[in-house]
Amino acid sequence: MLTLSGHALELKNFPSDSRGTVVRICAQKDRPFPLREREAFLVTNGEVPEGFGAYITVGKDARRSAPTGSKAIFLSDEFSYLADGDVVRIWPKNNQVRVLYRRNSHHNHFLMTERCNHYCLMCSQPPKDIDDSWIINEILQTIPLIDPSTREIGFTGGEPTLLGEDLFRILRTAKSYLPNTAIHILSNGRLFKDIEFAKRYAAIGHPDMMIGIPIYSDVSTIHDYVVQSDNAFDETIRGILNLKRLNQRVEIRMVIHQQTYKRLPQLAEFIVRNLTFVDHVALMGLEITGFTKANLDILWIDPIEYQSELYRAVSLLADSRIQVSIYNHQLCLLDKCLWPFAKKSISDWKNEYMPECEGCREKENCGGFFSSAKVRYSSHIKAFI
Amino acid sequence: MHSPRPGFRAVSKFESLFAYEKPLTDGYKLLPFRFTPFDDQNYVLTNQVGEFLVLDRPTVETFVRHHLPADNPAYNDLKSKHFLLDSDSSVGIDLLALKARTKLRRFANFTGLHMFVVSLRCDHSCPYCQVSRQSDDKIAYDMSTETAEKSLELVFRSPSPNIKIEFQGGEPLLNFPLIKFIVERAKSINELQKRNLQFVIATNLANINDEMLEFCRVHNILISTSLDGPADLHNKNRPRPGNDSYQRTIEGINRVRSTLGRNQVNALMTTSKASLGRVKDIIDEYVRQDFNGIFLRTMSPYGFAIKTKWYEAYHSNEWLKFYFDGLDYILELNRAGHVFVEYYAAIILAKMLTPFEPGFVDLRSPAGIGIGAIIYNYDGDVYASDEGRMLAEMGDKTFLLGNVHKNTYEEIILSDALLAPIEESFAASVPMCTDCAFEPFCGANPVFHHATTGDFVGHKPTSEFCEKSMGIFRHLIELMRSDVEVRRIFTKWANQAC
Amino acid sequence: MSHSLTFSKQAYSLEAIKRAAYRFSDRLSVEIIPHDEVTECVCSFLNVCSDDEAQRTLASFRTEVLDHDLRLTIAKETEPMRNAILAYAFSKTGLQGSE
Repeated sequence: MLTLSGHALELKNFPSDSRGTVVRICAQKDRPFPLREREAFLVTNGEVPEGFGAYITVGKDARRSAPTGSKAIFLSDEFSYLADGDVVRIWPKNNQVRVLYRRNSHHNHFLMTERCNHYCLMCSQPPKDIDDSWIINEILQTIPLIDPSTREIGFTGGEPTLLGEDLFRILRTAKSYLPNTAIHILSNGRLFKDIEFAKRYAAIGHPDMMIGIPIYSDVSTIHDYVVQSDNAFDETIRGILNLKRLNQRVEIRMVIHQQTYKRLPQLAEFIVRNLTFVDHVALMGLEITGFTKANLDILWIDPIEYQSELYRAVSLLADSRIQVSIYNHQLCLLDKCLWPFAKKSISDWKNEYMPECEGCREKENCGGFFSSAKVRYSSHIKAFI
Repeated sequence: MHSPRPGFRAVSKFESLFAYEKPLTDGYKLLPFRFTPFDDQNYVLTNQVGEFLVLDRPTVETFVRHHLPADNPAYNDLKSKHFLLDSDSSVGIDLLALKARTKLRRFANFTGLHMFVVSLRCDHSCPYCQVSRQSDDKIAYDMSTETAEKSLELVFRSPSPNIKIEFQGGEPLLNFPLIKFIVERAKSINELQKRNLQFVIATNLANINDEMLEFCRVHNILISTSLDGPADLHNKNRPRPGNDSYQRTIEGINRVRSTLGRNQVNALMTTSKASLGRVKDIIDEYVRQDFNGIFLRTMSPYGFAIKTKWYEAYHSNEWLKFYFDGLDYILELNRAGHVFVEYYAAIILAKMLTPFEPGFVDLRSPAGIGIGAIIYNYDGDVYASDEGRMLAEMGDKTFLLGNVHKNTYEEIILSDALLAPIEESFAASVPMCTDCAFEPFCGANPVFHHATTGDFVGHKPTSEFCEKSMGIFRHLIELMRSDVEVRRIFTKWANQAC
Repeated sequence: MSHSLTFSKQAYSLEAIKRAAYRFSDRLSVEIIPHDEVTECVCSFLNVCSDDEAQRTLASFRTEVLDHDLRLTIAKETEPMRNAILAYAFSKTGLQGSE
């Protein structure tokens, strides 16, 4: 598990009243001078080029020299993964450092807000009623610093559509600065029930944008219960229908747990008959973080117990020519014929393996576990020797 | 309960499932559906778009009388499949409307299949043949270029973006020059029209030569031939001078495959009395000849079949046994890993299991005659279907719509001869069909009913078409209910049929 | 050999009885005679059958009448919904105008 945010050991020469700085990291000694001013140089052994806006050194002997008078950031070993092209935010008021983007990662996500109009039993990012609109500007500042050859970036929350016009602003900025980068947004889709809102989203005209929308059951009461909100099912479906009317790409997501596994085949059938036009279906394993811990007794089920339902659902969707993937499930729990659908989906900063995985020859192909799985995981994990 | 401020939850504790089920105490409304006895205990229920459930009779009655409680195991299935609407959710109506639109989509683009009878001449003398056999007299029994030209004008009046031209007969290869003319002329017209144009020749392959094969290769023409089973059965059903129909057919198939491609030829079988009891042999023959599947057909009561009394030769029970045994054997092959489809089942399964309508002419309501397919006879007469033409050969011109030399497109497609049978046979309005749960899977079939009873509707309680159809529907549903693997196999078949 | 069945007019509509009779017309010839309180059905078998079979057929006929009663209830309740759904479906197919 990578540490993406924490405290700097020391920040030197930063005005104490400054709000926060978003800066790209550079490790190239010969960076053209005009560009150095707004970047932070990653100091390693050897010469330290002049002219950079800030200097970062990582490690317990971090206090190496930076040119006198320049801004310097000293970070502990936890941040040793930082590399050229990454983007960080420095917050001098409390020495806070947060890594916003890593060029080497396949899983760059931007949290847009912690506000949400749902309260899912298994929410991994519990909602907060706060004004966090400052995030919008941070994202707008970050996007131009992202490497344009990045394959995909994600936008999550909370509920991104609560940003309204600001959401569209961010997406348009991404389209402008990163025309070749695919965008994946996670949303409950409810606000798209208003066709005008959906039209404004569609008007962005992004060439490769998909929105991942959860549906937890084919039965409205169960779905509404899982997300803890009335009318959620109806509004989400209406949102999806509007998005599809406007030819937008839609993915259906679903988390398999004690409350949702029983009707998984029926949900697959519901999708086949009613939402046959969806671009992808993602069936996901439970992440034991956030609200999941509080609700573990009604959510936990050993994944081995629902393999029959999973098999029926996946085969129905695949046979009906709908793209389907299984996320966050270990290969030893899945029937071999489901392996082609299992994707390595756990963000690289979150994934780990358990003692039972020692010596397993499928480690490379298997996504492993969420770090949070240490709290509880299947008792049927077995290495392939 | 919806929070007034977006992004903030009024209460910060979790509600139970019970809290979300409270509105269900208001009861539910029925959505349109039908039910029909399935077996001794159970009924099958279907909604307007063919989604089905099997429930016992007491549950059905309780459900209709609005007494089914929300905790009954059937309740959630009835709700999710849109048999009921309760106060908790209303999006079901939008979804049903969308589903209905998807199923009906084909009707706006009518007449996809255009059959050209380029010659009545034939070198075979199959007893079940549905057309008069005439040899040698080319002038009298071959279609002329003028007739072909006029027919093509009508073909391109159809709005369908997909047009399939099928050459029939007699034996169409006996008038190959006209086939060439029609293909080239159609393609030339299509330069402007830009439809998706496909050609098929329905031939016994006895007369195919290299010149014909080359032409088919260049113009991407598909071949459809007859293979009734292994040699002894095939030759018995399909006599020709020299009694070598089977050999010529197999040789022809192989030649077509090596010149045009493995999947450029398909085969159809006809079931005769001699076929009954030999379904395994017939299927084995198709497997041996490397076909991807088989269409187990019933026998139609037309043309020579009636003259030679073949039609009365067996009743629907015998044919159903033949069909069910065949299906069992095919499923056995599939379970063992050999992909092989039964195409008639696949069409029905597409209606049962997918949101789409496969568009098979004989299983459509409104009937597929004229709308799905139309046929231009060698003399310019236009018929609503191939069977309609065969009836005319026997003196019954009920389904004659007009003549390409005398009538306009509008006169033909809007003629009473076409509209009356479609309207009168519309299954949703016809006695017994209107109440039948199997109606979404079935078809109107006015030609069959006219041929057997004299009216377009027929008498469904005694209709063989009805009896056979219902037998198949029940059997397919039963197979799926009892075996998850069969359900899987059937889902794959259904999706390749769309 | 004919059998007489009676159906209370309050509980079973004439329409339901007629439809059931139509369905069974391959096995039974049914003469429908309305009386004051009941509708009488005089059923004659078209084919030879044993007493057991006859009883079973008549029982099925009764069930069929009940079923048709239910069907008529469904039809009446769902008629407006059926029309609404089809109207909505057709309104966007382009059959009546532009898509």
